[in-house]
Amino acid sequence: MKRRSIIIFWLLLLMPTLVVGAAAFKLLRNEQRRINQEVRLSAQDRAHAIGDSLQLTVEAVEDGLTEALKRIPIEKLEDILISWEERNPLVRNSFIWNQKVGLQKQKPGSYTTSEERRFILRYSSLISGRIPWKNSGAEEEQTGLVENQGRRQKKIRRQKLVERARQTAGEYQSSGGDFKEASRESAGWIPWFEANNLYILGWVRKESGGLVYGVELEVMTLLSRLITDFPLTEALSEGMVYAIIDGNGKVLHQAGKAGLKTGTRPDITVSLAPSLPHWQVAVYFIDGTMMTRSGRGFIVLSGILLAIFIVAIVLGGSLLMWQAHNNLKDARQKTSFVSSVSHELKTPLTSIHMYAELLSTDRIKNPDKKKHYLKVIVTESQRLTRLVNNVLDFSRLEQGSKKYHLEKLDMAVFLCETIKAHSLRIHKAGLVLKENIPDKNIIVETDRDAMEQVLLNLLDNAIKYASEGKELSITLKVRKEYCELQVVDRGPGVPFAHRESIFKKFHRVDDSLTAGKPGSGLGLSISRRLLRDLGGDLLYRLREGGGSCFIVQIPFN
Amino acid sequence: MKNLKKGKKKNWRMRIVALIGFCAVLSIVIQVDAGVSESGVKCRVEIDRAVLPAGGAQKAVVKITLDAPPPPEKSMRPAVNLAIVLDRSGSMAGQKLERAKDAAIEALRHLGPMDMFSVVVYDHNVSTVVSAQHATNIEWIEGRIRQIRSGGNTALFGGVSQGAAEVRKNLDGNYVHRIILLSDGIANVGPSSPEDLGRLGAALIKEGISVTTVGVGTDYNEDLMTRLSQNSDGNTYFVESSRDLPRIFTAELGDVLSVVAKKVHLIIECPNGVKPLNIIGREGRIKGRFVELSLNQLYGSQEKYALIEVEIPVGKSGEKKDIAYVNVSYENPFTQKKETSSGRVYARFSKDRIKVKKSTNIAVQREYYFNLNAISQERAISLSDEGKKNEAVSELKRSANKLKEIGQEHNDEELLKRAEEMEIQAGQIEKQGMTKKYRKVLRTDSYQMKNQQMSK
Repeated sequence: MKRRSIIIFWLLLLMPTLVVGAAAFKLLRNEQRRINQEVRLSAQDRAHAIGDSLQLTVEAVEDGLTEALKRIPIEKLEDILISWEERNPLVRNSFIWNQKVGLQKQKPGSYTTSEERRFILRYSSLISGRIPWKNSGAEEEQTGLVENQGRRQKKIRRQKLVERARQTAGEYQSSGGDFKEASRESAGWIPWFEANNLYILGWVRKESGGLVYGVELEVMTLLSRLITDFPLTEALSEGMVYAIIDGNGKVLHQAGKAGLKTGTRPDITVSLAPSLPHWQVAVYFIDGTMMTRSGRGFIVLSGILLAIFIVAIVLGGSLLMWQAHNNLKDARQKTSFVSSVSHELKTPLTSIHMYAELLSTDRIKNPDKKKHYLKVIVTESQRLTRLVNNVLDFSRLEQGSKKYHLEKLDMAVFLCETIKAHSLRIHKAGLVLKENIPDKNIIVETDRDAMEQVLLNLLDNAIKYASEGKELSITLKVRKEYCELQVVDRGPGVPFAHRESIFKKFHRVDDSLTAGKPGSGLGLSISRRLLRDLGGDLLYRLREGGGSCFIVQIPFN
Repeated sequence: MKNLKKGKKKNWRMRIVALIGFCAVLSIVIQVDAGVSESGVKCRVEIDRAVLPAGGAQKAVVKITLDAPPPPEKSMRPAVNLAIVLDRSGSMAGQKLERAKDAAIEALRHLGPMDMFSVVVYDHNVSTVVSAQHATNIEWIEGRIRQIRSGGNTALFGGVSQGAAEVRKNLDGNYVHRIILLSDGIANVGPSSPEDLGRLGAALIKEGISVTTVGVGTDYNEDLMTRLSQNSDGNTYFVESSRDLPRIFTAELGDVLSVVAKKVHLIIECPNGVKPLNIIGREGRIKGRFVELSLNQLYGSQEKYALIEVEIPVGKSGEKKDIAYVNVSYENPFTQKKETSSGRVYARFSKDRIKVKKSTNIAVQREYYFNLNAISQERAISLSDEGKKNEAVSELKRSANKLKEIGQEHNDEELLKRAEEMEIQAGQIEKQGMTKKYRKVLRTDSYQMKNQQMSK
């Protein structure tokens, strides 16, 4: 397969895969964005709901206290306000103020508790009359409040808290007189800031006499109650923190499984004004993710599936391509093998046919010539036999039906005999043979025919490819566990890239050297398999100074 | 015979004189009308000197002592509504948290089926481990407590708020309401100034809930913890080693289980001319001739007192003048009835300086100077916080000298011993500076003195 075809194939495979993958990832990102948006909207809604609930709580407390304040009979005003201070946890301080006299209950310089002293200092501008008694919010507590239906319903649910706020006034309700009369009074709540801390002052003004009185809310109690109304951590998604923060961004309370680092900015804020000015309900998305666990799970799983899909396509395509490439290579090798074998078979057959025909016509009278022709026929038929043996052996080896007849074999004797039988061929090929065979018996237990076939294959290769080197050396050495036969020539050697491939079936070094030589590409493959079956091996070493060295290892047992 | 008769007459005369003398001495010594209630809380009112110098306006100290009776043996003790609020922030990990859990379980085992028990834990989050329930299913509750694991930051305000919410579930029942807060670190989530937590304490006491604070180690904010206890009339403890936690919890529970009076309210009225100036060591209200003080509870056999500085007008020699009338009202937790007790104190005037000196009530003087010493300890902490270490040491030394001077003047061992302790403390601070430990010791000592906390 040509490189260009491979590139085109890869492009055809990769391009659509990548396009599909990119499109799928884009869809996933869109889905993630959509889920994030939904989570954000849901968190925003929840923050608004919490904010509404907190504001209603504060309003309920304020309404309850205002109502109770209005019901206090003027003659018992001071006593009742002091008892509120002592018994109602929602009341921090109380006051009675007159436009002419100023503070009546506490007189600057003669306060009764240290808390009163701080109260006087805190509201000095209000007490001195520099700031008028006016509600800072848009809502003025006049004859009835304008409320929408939803808030009214929520307020009913807060009735219990109103009752709690009224608690201290309960005993005075009956003596408080007519509410209609009270409703003519004006009242309000003033959020007050001192040293960045929020204070809330509630007041009621009697129309006659300019008397103003009221209470300061205990903000810490209020916060303490608001906290218990805040959602529980267990009910919140992981990675999401809900908090109440003050005007300085300080977290007053938080709920959520993750902790908040100092300076973290909220992702969503909902103001608690006018009830609690500058206070906010804040939502933090930890690590920048808004995902719920299930949402994140969906995205991660989809991502993994998509990645698996892309990898599977690429791997599957590659596998198919590799398979096709192998099949093509095999087909080529087989074609080459058939062609080579046919040629190999045809050449000796042609010679045999030609000389046999000449001899059959009786035209050759010269007995030497006859003898020569018969010798050629014998040689060529031997060559044909070797070739057919190779093909048969290959077939048996492929099928696993090759049978070996093990026998005691003296390698030195066997080698000498075989070399002697083929010395003429070697000599005719122009090779000078050097034998280094020890003069002793080297007994191995092996298959004689297999050994002969291996040796003939190696000699044939030397005659075929290394005859120009003029040198062939056959050495037998005894090693510890096996004997080693080295067949060394001064031929061109095997190129580096083919040193292992030459032992593969049908493989032939495809260059000018072998192109002109006939061969099936089976000799070395069969030799190695035979030897390995017999417990030995066939290796190739590059010979120093050029040439090849084939090493045959034959185990003793 | 005549001589014998004369002798007998003389004897009788001497006996009568001795009896009159004894009665006179007794009348001087017992210038206090004890409380009317025999089995209830007794109110004793004393003045630092029974005889005051005549001929000039002067200041005096009135001590109002409430003697709580021991809990009745036959009656069933009042039920307790207890919330334990545990810090499980990262710094509590390991032994501290394990001992804290042991302590909570120890407290649970002291309770009976009629008591309510809840456990709240907090790190940056607040969660209720055991919601308010009768202390009956002990094994299950123990299991829940054992499962507590350490976490992150310290949302102390949220923890106390949630603990209060658990107590509030049974606020209407006849219980002694108590939160025990344990922390080892600086509150860093939510309101975390002593002022803010003090306000929370002040609000909780209005609902009858006291918060006892237990600080572990040397890293917690003692100002915040003591202010919370002080304003809610709870106890405060400084525990250097977490090993002591179970002991402290047991001691605290011993107090809580022996409450003999709840919602104690004192009204001190001074007659015309006598002006209350100052309340030493306690928060209260001075309104003209009246002083009002509140305590959330009195424990069995405990003695709690209040010290009021008053200004007394000029008196003539031999004149007897009323100084204060005291009315105490409280709720008897055994009968759930309102009970009262009262007392009064007067003083005589004399030009005789020796008589004036001899009339000194050392018990009142001692407590007065101990309380002044507690205020000096707090002042020393403030000075040290401002970086004025030398002034802080001088303040402590000055206070020690004063204690020594008064101790030597009246030959009082307790005052001398305290003076010595203060001298040692001042010396250590001079040498090593105001370490975290010394600061905590001073703050806790000062509070325990002002609150008359017995178990330390």
